[in-house]
Amino acid sequence: MKDRLLDALRASRADYTEIRVERTWTSSVTYRGRRLESATASEDQGGCVRALHRGCGWGVASFTSLERLPAMVGRASELSRAIRVDDPIRLADVPPHEADALLDLDGDVRGVPLAEKKRLIEAYNGEMLAVSDRVVDTLATYGDEVTEYWFVSSAGTVLHEVRPEITLSGTAVARRNGTIEKGLESIGLRRGWRGAQDRGAGFRAAAERAVALLDAPGVKGGRYPVVLDPELAGVFIHEAFGHLSEADFIYENPQAREMMTLGRRFGRPVLNVGDNGAAPGLRGTLPFDDEGTPTQDTPLIREGVLVGRLHSRETAARLGERPTGNARALSFRHAPIVRMTNTYIGNGRGTFEDLIRDVKLGVYACSAFGGQTLLENFSFTAAYGRMIRDGHPAELVKDVVLAGNLFQTLDRIERIAGDFRWNQMGGGCGKAGQGPLPVTEGAPHVRIEEALVGGDVPA
Amino acid sequence: MIERLLDEARRRARGADAIWRRVESTSVSFDWGRLKAAGATEEAGIGLRVVKDGRVGTAGTTAVVAAGELVDRALASADLGATVELALPAAAPLPDVPTHSDRAAGASLDDLIAIGRALLERLTRDGCQVSVAIGRDVSETRVANTAGAHAAYRTTAGDDVLMIGDGWDGCDLPPEDRLDALVRSITDRLERALRIVEPPEGALPVVFTPPGLAAILLPVTQALSGKAVLQGISPLVGRVGEEVFDPRFSVTDDPLRSGRAASRPIDDECVPSAPLPLVTRGSVRSFIYDLETAARANTQSTGHGQRGIFSKPVPGYTNIIIGEEARGKGEAVGELGGGLLGDMQDGLVVDELIGVGQGNVISGAFSHPVALAYRVERGEITGRVKDAAVAGNTYELLKKIGGFGNDDRWYGARHAPSLLLEGVSVARR
Repeated sequence: MKDRLLDALRASRADYTEIRVERTWTSSVTYRGRRLESATASEDQGGCVRALHRGCGWGVASFTSLERLPAMVGRASELSRAIRVDDPIRLADVPPHEADALLDLDGDVRGVPLAEKKRLIEAYNGEMLAVSDRVVDTLATYGDEVTEYWFVSSAGTVLHEVRPEITLSGTAVARRNGTIEKGLESIGLRRGWRGAQDRGAGFRAAAERAVALLDAPGVKGGRYPVVLDPELAGVFIHEAFGHLSEADFIYENPQAREMMTLGRRFGRPVLNVGDNGAAPGLRGTLPFDDEGTPTQDTPLIREGVLVGRLHSRETAARLGERPTGNARALSFRHAPIVRMTNTYIGNGRGTFEDLIRDVKLGVYACSAFGGQTLLENFSFTAAYGRMIRDGHPAELVKDVVLAGNLFQTLDRIERIAGDFRWNQMGGGCGKAGQGPLPVTEGAPHVRIEEALVGGDVPA
Repeated sequence: MIERLLDEARRRARGADAIWRRVESTSVSFDWGRLKAAGATEEAGIGLRVVKDGRVGTAGTTAVVAAGELVDRALASADLGATVELALPAAAPLPDVPTHSDRAAGASLDDLIAIGRALLERLTRDGCQVSVAIGRDVSETRVANTAGAHAAYRTTAGDDVLMIGDGWDGCDLPPEDRLDALVRSITDRLERALRIVEPPEGALPVVFTPPGLAAILLPVTQALSGKAVLQGISPLVGRVGEEVFDPRFSVTDDPLRSGRAASRPIDDECVPSAPLPLVTRGSVRSFIYDLETAARANTQSTGHGQRGIFSKPVPGYTNIIIGEEARGKGEAVGELGGGLLGDMQDGLVVDELIGVGQGNVISGAFSHPVALAYRVERGEITGRVKDAAVAGNTYELLKKIGGFGNDDRWYGARHAPSLLLEGVSVARR
């Protein structure tokens, strides 16, 4: 394959050309309630060529038939030449790399019969159904993937990688009369078959939570001190802040540039944030990004001050900074764009108990059903919450929606505990039609001085 | 390919159906006003479903594999599958629906660039960043089954999407008058957003524009899917014939709308297309089903099987038409608020919300910060509100609709007017 790609590359007349080819084996098994909904194995393959002529724009051609590779190299080059740009596109230098990174497959899922995968997820699904007859519906999915990946560029980089991935997810729906609640479990690992074993407890906990929420009151809307659990804190830093750190958002937009000026204070000295594509064994971890740049740990906020951002080769050249290894493509169907990898809030000090000891009345918001941001405005739906009363976690509450302004909220992060953990969840990040891209988030417990917690607002 | 595959499957299973789809597309995007990239894709794949001993299995691929190998994989999947009595439809006459435009199919990269430049020129102004994306897809679909049904059709789609504002899509390239309407709509929204005002607070009348209706309608479309019925989570289950909504409210799914990107003569399981009234005069009439959900619910497929190359079919909508009876014809982008603001003392016009689709959607309860909303005072829009959130329950709010706007239009695959809803909870933050 390498030789085939290098031959095609040599035929390109563009000033810069790169070719990515992927072959992916996936299988998935889904249970809904007691019924197996689907069990299927697929194979997806294709490639993407990106070409750039001096003084021109990017030409991108993607395809599923490898026979078409030479023709698509020509097409990408032609598309590039059709676009004249006033302001030339430059690419920051990256030394050429040659690497064969065959990640440990940790039990190659391609050798495991579909029937065995079915037995595994059937057992996890059974854990949820066994919790109570109030659990009226479940959804449990096993998914695996092995991708063989080739990358060659006219800058001299030649890469070959094999990457495993495994995801397990469960949703339990509990119902009593008209009230419906759900509990979620989600696991995503850059591992193989062995990584999927012994995961039943998490599924059971999700179903127990759904049942418990049936009796929980909705949180009373208002402003409270809010403590985020590591899961929600991770989702928050990814969605609300991480996306603003992606330099493709910053470099052409003067307002964003001003908002994201390096050296600007974003929070109190307790706050440290970064993105680490080289952290071992996580879903967002890869040796190189999809432009052949090695991944790294990139500090974004250090002691409350903005110190960095995430780059592709193009955005790095534009802002006069160094590439950070954050140009990623969802698959061969897409060109790489600036993306996060494993994004984190750095560790603080003390325990969760220390964090809430002096909170008289507050909300402990846990796990996430979802989140969305629009520039500096965000909205997050916690999966569940607890009231904090007189320094202790108290009753379970539901419908905990956090809404606010990013900059105000970052600035109100007053304490961070020392219990950092990576949240190895499934799902992923969506941007510009490319999703879900595997990413990981990590954080300790985080305390926000005051935030708006939604619920129905009394008229 | 599809014939050979079905021949092979026929020998080894009781029945089978398959979809083959090839998509060729070209797109250009102007990011923050600058044209920087053009893209082309060529993609083809095949999805197979087999029925053996009453069990269903699927397999899909974009790689070149022998028919036998794909059938092997589908049969392995069927070995594990639950039993279901799939009734593969026989050959039937198909309705005629235009889904192809020679103009869109023949459009060159330069044509797309020219449309983009013209839009940019008309939208550019000081202090604003404009992004435009234009795409053109040509796709060819073949569906067939071992019961003798088969069909092939071609579709084209053209669309352009603007980050700050609005979009258009259809089978053709956007005609001149639609582009005019798009420019007017965006300009209007932008100009009225320049002044920021304080949000009101309390239980207030709110006009949801056609794009703003997403949060209100999502619970309803989820609840009208046969899938939710089977799962026992649809609040509308067992309520066919009951007046659940305002008597002027209706919902229809119409796969035969001329020139719409979601239109098609046949669904992905060889069931011929037909319009389907789901809610009429406020009463629930029907749910959408594909072959499998229909078999499980002891009913007929409504022709809503939707299928990708790699997944089994699921019930999915085509073009959703919302409105009063006899509406659903409007094309004009009307005035913001759809003429519903006259009697409003204090309230909001909501055009976009943040976080739609999060949380326990199907229950009807929603709570979202606004992305784009305007304050209305004494019948006039006085400016944009930023730090506000709206909350309520779709089923409560749609029981009595305060008014239907005169601005019916397409937004994506949904056709709707603005709706005035009373007593929406509005909070500041």
